[in-house]
Amino acid sequence: MANRFGGALAARPLQFIWIADCSGSMAGKKIESLNFGIREAIQPMREVATENPNAQVLVRAIKFSDGAQWHVSQPTEIHDFKWADLTADGVTDMGKALQLAADALKTNNMPERGLPPVLVLLSDGQPTDDFNAGLKAMMDQPWGAKAVRVAIAIGDDADLDVLQQFIGHPERKPIQVTNANDLVKMIKWASTVPLKAASNPNSQPMGQSIAAGVVPIPAPPLSTLPIDPSDVF
Amino acid sequence: MSDLLQRGQVLRTKHSGQTCTVEQFLGGGGQGEVFRAMWGTMPVALKWYFSHTATPEQHAALEKLVTDHKPPTNNFLWPLDLADSDHLPGYGYVMRLREPRFRSLLDLVSGRIDPTFQTLVTAGLQLADSFYRLHADGLCYRDISFGNVFFDPQNGEILVCDNDNVTENRSSHCGILGTPDFMAPEIVRGEALPSRQTDLYSLAVLLFYIFHISHPLLGRRILSIRCWDLPARMKLFGNEPLFIFDPQDQSNSAVAESVDPTGEAGANAVNYWPIFPQILRDTFTKAFTSGLRDPDNRVMEGEWRGVLSRLRDAIFFCEHCGKENFYDLEMLKSSDSVGPCPFCQKTPRLPYRLRLGKTVVMLTHQAKLFPHHLDDHQPFDFTRPVAEVVQHPTNPNIWGLKNLTSDKWVITTADGSTKDVEPTKSVPLVSGTKVSFGRVEGEIRH
Ligand SMILES: Nc1ncnc2c1ncn2[C@@H]1O[C@H](COP(=O)(O)OP(=O)(O)O)[C@@H](O)[C@H]1O
Ligand SMILES: [Zn+2]
Repeated sequence: MANRFGGALAARPLQFIWIADCSGSMAGKKIESLNFGIREAIQPMREVATENPNAQVLVRAIKFSDGAQWHVSQPTEIHDFKWADLTADGVTDMGKALQLAADALKTNNMPERGLPPVLVLLSDGQPTDDFNAGLKAMMDQPWGAKAVRVAIAIGDDADLDVLQQFIGHPERKPIQVTNANDLVKMIKWASTVPLKAASNPNSQPMGQSIAAGVVPIPAPPLSTLPIDPSDVF
Repeated sequence: MSDLLQRGQVLRTKHSGQTCTVEQFLGGGGQGEVFRAMWGTMPVALKWYFSHTATPEQHAALEKLVTDHKPPTNNFLWPLDLADSDHLPGYGYVMRLREPRFRSLLDLVSGRIDPTFQTLVTAGLQLADSFYRLHADGLCYRDISFGNVFFDPQNGEILVCDNDNVTENRSSHCGILGTPDFMAPEIVRGEALPSRQTDLYSLAVLLFYIFHISHPLLGRRILSIRCWDLPARMKLFGNEPLFIFDPQDQSNSAVAESVDPTGEAGANAVNYWPIFPQILRDTFTKAFTSGLRDPDNRVMEGEWRGVLSRLRDAIFFCEHCGKENFYDLEMLKSSDSVGPCPFCQKTPRLPYRLRLGKTVVMLTHQAKLFPHHLDDHQPFDFTRPVAEVVQHPTNPNIWGLKNLTSDKWVITTADGSTKDVEPTKSVPLVSGTKVSFGRVEGEIRH
């Protein structure tokens, strides 16, 4: 028997999209670490969702190499989400991936009211197509401009300038990882911390005005593990 | 496991001189990670800070809490000692472990637990009382929110966690502004820093959430906000805050689920608001009208304690559906009848009640009196009943109020005769009987 009225706190949808580089240079170890990292991130994401009853976390994924496609096209409740492993082959059509994201974020394709979307871009190289056109298409969408955008630069050849433009906030840098361990860890970080910040900003440190208009994200923890020099990307 | 500390690692604690051995990773938060550890022979929780949060200011604040201040009540998981190591940068602190019976207020608002109103009112009362004590000690909590308060869904006992942001009132060296949904408007606008007065605002928000499963400022206006981000919060919580039950201005009123199925504009509040006594509505109205604009005109902890203890006394059970209803003296005076039960719509009969000074205690089959009922100066302690309603041992139609104190009471019946009620004896529940409990006198009514 219920003791009181039943209603729980209302939730707004939060669209979360991974945008993953599947170009040939990702083949082998990198793409496997990425697959492993995303699988590892799902449970912590579910925990964030559970701790933020005002957010309904809906997850999708885009892959890009020769062109870009939806890897998971339906916004899926994080509690029902499963990851199918990506494989890598081809060039780095990052611009097309952002076009795809821009379409998804069009006002008509989005719920009427929601929380800021979270976009996590993972890449190890230079775009081979028109990145700027893709970026512009995305930023032209109100939901794209409102999105919390995070980028992980994998290895030394990642194009930091491009990733920085994607993020769009000078004070927030791409997260650079050079070994598998850090990649896995940072995927988890990028999949949970911004999610938490976008669904329900937590204890705010002083000196950070909430008027800044940016979803505040705590700094990613720096690696304290000894780096295995043989674990080369 | 975590990267910060490893199982079996031995740390030193500063004041006790005992070692602290890391046993198990419990969880990570925004400022650090928490481990189960053995402090001497005592199992404890150890919080270890991330390198970027392990500031000298935080260290100084903890040092002060450990050496200069005792936990205001047992309801605080207070820093007991600082921990560090020669082999590691940074530091941490030890505190009591939170027992598994405690559940987060998040579990309440997301409907994962279903406590009774009595439990919730008890939790609210303990919250108000805990912050009364904390503030009386000259301290300020700074970050009252869902995530930091836990309670036992069986009895309403509360536990205030994350006490590492507690500072002396007016000190500005600590790095936490609060959690946006609970921040006083003047902090949201960047005009003030956390203080005792802003804690009072956050406390009122938390109490409103507990009783209404809604935010007091989220009404109609949120329906025109597409993206609920920080600028939107700045608007509704900082620049244009307006209570969803503001008697003067309905432009942000709570919207029923039948009008907005998402329920995000206060649909739960529409259900709960009318079922509580007028005094609770009046107190929330004060907290979120004058108290919204004027930090010196907020509802104080002492006032909340008074209101919530009366609210607890007002609970009785609907004889038709068994659910808790609230007795409303004001309402009864104006309309001369109890309203229908909000859950089954049938009209319940009132039980016997005991008028005790300002409060009226419903003498339900499970009613108890506690020390604060018989003496204003006694703490709220719901583990030590001083009286309870019992059934007559041979005639179950007769009910009585049993004396659980070690002092005798004296009763005066309606016809003027007096009688002693020794410890363990019971006063029959008969309308018109006056009971002298020593410091206070009560009258049984029906
Ligand atoms: N005293 C304690 N006993 C048991 N678990 C605790 C205790 N304090 C914190 N935890 C757990 O540790 C985790 C992180 O703690 P939290 O207080 O949220 O950190 P932060 O303040 O840095 O966000 C949470 O999962 C919390 O439940
Ligand atoms: Zn009923």
